Amino acid sequence: MPEIIVSKFFYNKEAAPLSYYKAHGGYEGLKKALGMTPGAIIAEMKKSNMRGRGGAGFPTGMKWGFIPKESKMPKYMVCNADESEPGTFKDRAIMTYSPHMLIEGMAIGSFAIGARVAYIYIRGEYVREAGILEKAIEEAYKAGILGEKVMGSDFKLDLYVHRGAGAYICGEETGLLNSLEGKRGEPRVKPPFPAIKGAFGGPTIVNNVETLAAVPAIILKGGEWFAGLGKFPNSGGTRLYCVSGHVNKPGLYEFACGAVTLRELIYDHCGGIRNGNKLKAVIPGGSSAPVLTANELDIALDIEPMMKAGTMLGSAGVIVIDETWSAVKAIKRITHFYAHESCGQCTPCREGCRWMEDVLHRILDGHGKMTDLDLLLNVAGNINGKTLCALGDAAAGPVISFVKKFRHEFEEMIRNETNALNGRLSAEQGKV
Amino acid sequence: MSPKCTIDGKEYEFKPGEMIIQIADRNGVAVPRFCYHPGLTIVAQCRMCAVEVEKMPKIQTACSTPAADGMVIHTGSEKVKSAQSSVMEFLLINHPLDCPICDKSGECDLQNYSFDYGAPDSRYEEQRRTYMDLDMGPVIKKNMNRCIHCTRCIRFCDEVGGFREMVALKRGNNVEITTVDGKALETDYAGNLADICPTGSLTLKDFRFRKRVWYLKKTKSVCEGCSRGCNIEIHQENGVVYRLLPRENMEINKWWICDEGRFNFHYVNAPSRIVEPSVKTAAQLETSDWSTALAEARRRISGKVLVLAGSDLTLEELRAIQKFAADRLKECALLHFGTPGHLSADDDKDEDKILRRTSKTSNLHGAEKLGLRGWKGDGSYDSALVFRGGRAALPHGLRRHVKGAIVGVGVFPREGAGDFDVVLPGLSYVEKSGTIVNWQGKEQKLQRSIEPVGLSKGIADVFAMWA
Repeated sequence: MPEIIVSKFFYNKEAAPLSYYKAHGGYEGLKKALGMTPGAIIAEMKKSNMRGRGGAGFPTGMKWGFIPKESKMPKYMVCNADESEPGTFKDRAIMTYSPHMLIEGMAIGSFAIGARVAYIYIRGEYVREAGILEKAIEEAYKAGILGEKVMGSDFKLDLYVHRGAGAYICGEETGLLNSLEGKRGEPRVKPPFPAIKGAFGGPTIVNNVETLAAVPAIILKGGEWFAGLGKFPNSGGTRLYCVSGHVNKPGLYEFACGAVTLRELIYDHCGGIRNGNKLKAVIPGGSSAPVLTANELDIALDIEPMMKAGTMLGSAGVIVIDETWSAVKAIKRITHFYAHESCGQCTPCREGCRWMEDVLHRILDGHGKMTDLDLLLNVAGNINGKTLCALGDAAAGPVISFVKKFRHEFEEMIRNETNALNGRLSAEQGKV
Repeated sequence: MSPKCTIDGKEYEFKPGEMIIQIADRNGVAVPRFCYHPGLTIVAQCRMCAVEVEKMPKIQTACSTPAADGMVIHTGSEKVKSAQSSVMEFLLINHPLDCPICDKSGECDLQNYSFDYGAPDSRYEEQRRTYMDLDMGPVIKKNMNRCIHCTRCIRFCDEVGGFREMVALKRGNNVEITTVDGKALETDYAGNLADICPTGSLTLKDFRFRKRVWYLKKTKSVCEGCSRGCNIEIHQENGVVYRLLPRENMEINKWWICDEGRFNFHYVNAPSRIVEPSVKTAAQLETSDWSTALAEARRRISGKVLVLAGSDLTLEELRAIQKFAADRLKECALLHFGTPGHLSADDDKDEDKILRRTSKTSNLHGAEKLGLRGWKGDGSYDSALVFRGGRAALPHGLRRHVKGAIVGVGVFPREGAGDFDVVLPGLSYVEKSGTIVNWQGKEQKLQRSIEPVGLSKGIADVFAMWA
């Protein structure tokens, strides 16, 4: 029986209310945490080898440890529920079915870092989820879990839900903090990092929903237990894989970190490719992860193996593309997303993303030139690693990988001047 | 011992917390930049100030990377050059490249850096981005197509100008820098936006299409607009002043100047200024010549004389007037005038929290130092001698206190000189050198920038001819 932590109550329509959560072992972690010292909680988190589930994979315990013990400014705990990476839908399920698991995790985190105010920054499109969270917070206040005396202790915590206005860049932690403060959603210059100077100038921790939802289990069962679940060193616990695209059984899958490979996930757990088609490509970590071809499937789904393979696990949004879909069309759509979502602050991302999109659009329209491919690689290279935040890398990485790995498709499209109106290949090209 | 870092092989000391670009600037190491300005917050947006720091895998921006002890920084490595040329390419793909008709041309950061760091040709074939421009009020003309989104103007309005009135709208490639709701700028410091704009996106309506900047000759001087004494640079050609720019002085005006001071020079070359000796015949002032006008002035200054010296005159001029009054006039009262309601230096206050002072003359504090007191608008005199530098408010109601002639020496507009019987044209602040004292008690030098306009003469010359 594989270990299941955050998806324990998934698809159970009765699981959201406090009564159900409490009846099934809820808030035991918080109760235990309130009896510990903040230092002990952070030590437990460090032991757990929990790495942030939002995409960057930064060790959570280490992040919490960056918060200065003495601070003149109030400290804040912020939950990043702006889940906006294309192909990612795990946080939504957690908030729908286990809102109290998130609240409990946030309460433990707030206690550990000494925050008295916590925010859940939820993306604007998650209207229903925001409502569920509001309701759960109200329940928690009534039950004395939040407010002046958290579960009867001297610890005071206020928790607010803040809805975003629908911008990918507000999932970047400093962009999120700007938006939370009512400013334009633009990333800030780092350093200073949020742990030193974050929301409203105070030390702030920004954690992903899934990260925080796993905290109660870590506290309850111990960091060593959690670390032991991971199959690779320095990466503990389980994580949710969001599989979408051309597989027979898309959806959310929870496995221990690194326990399954990409091939096992697609063929054993997701029932293989639809209609018995051949696999063309997999984007393993949300649309900003460089693409993998059908020959690169025997990679364990964890942060380090993915990095070794030249891509990233990111938010574990696995997007599966089969042979019927044009790679050019796919990367055009991805690049359009990044050009649209670029905040426009720094030069390479603002100008470069749109340039790449225009060139890809031209190729799709049948006006491409062979030199465009090197141009694309060069422009993407000029964006990669040279921007203010990670959005530039997120936009450039996929373009580089798509052009490199599917160059033949681009060339074919340019040679045939295919007006690929809907992106599908002709019968000969795709053998549909 | 203070920490040290190495830039391009040379070791420099720095204060902890300093950014690499600040160390480079202090030591004359050239680092190109668009968005960084020492007077504004750091945003690291343009990515132009890229430097390579050893042991850091990625290119760093010099403006936002704090120096550390032992850090080794390269400003000209291959990696840096390629990063900078790619930024130049990105900035220029949507720029209209209309330098031949752009007023910024010749002093444009984008143009200069494009020569230094850019490529001679373009790889861009797609359609360029264009915008519609809204009016930004009387001071600034916007051309958004030339904008490179450095947001200096937004930060200036937020942090210096006192009004949060410029914003970035939309996002990504479509970002538009504009005023809130497209309104006219309200700040009294709007002219600075044209100075800090690194492209021709924001230009002065006052200066637009009037002169190519490379023809302008520059003189360092001091503004006469108020008792702040902002440091300026006068730009002129062939005796015509075209514009004033602020000059950095961290103790007085930092990098800025208000619009009132910036556009104050217009009276210098204006046709309304009296630039010939004039004598009143019948009802109005008629152009005369120096000997006639001087003789007339000498003849009619008699009895109890009210000598009014503008607090816009330099210390040297005021001393000459003092000496003249003591030596030549038997019975006289020597008083200063300048801003209504400012009888002494104590009346001079801050007008806003930025630069402007309520005394609209530059040397009120210098006049006080020489022992002059303000004219309260009282007394009765036989004749009056008024010295004015061009900025002091004309003493209204002078005629009621003077029975005989009123003689003006200095800069007077044709309108408003109706009370005067003789006007001897003098020099404005751009035509003379001298010393003025600002509200902090700092002595600063005015520098002569242009030749006297018309037949104007300095006060010392007038006194020399008087005898």
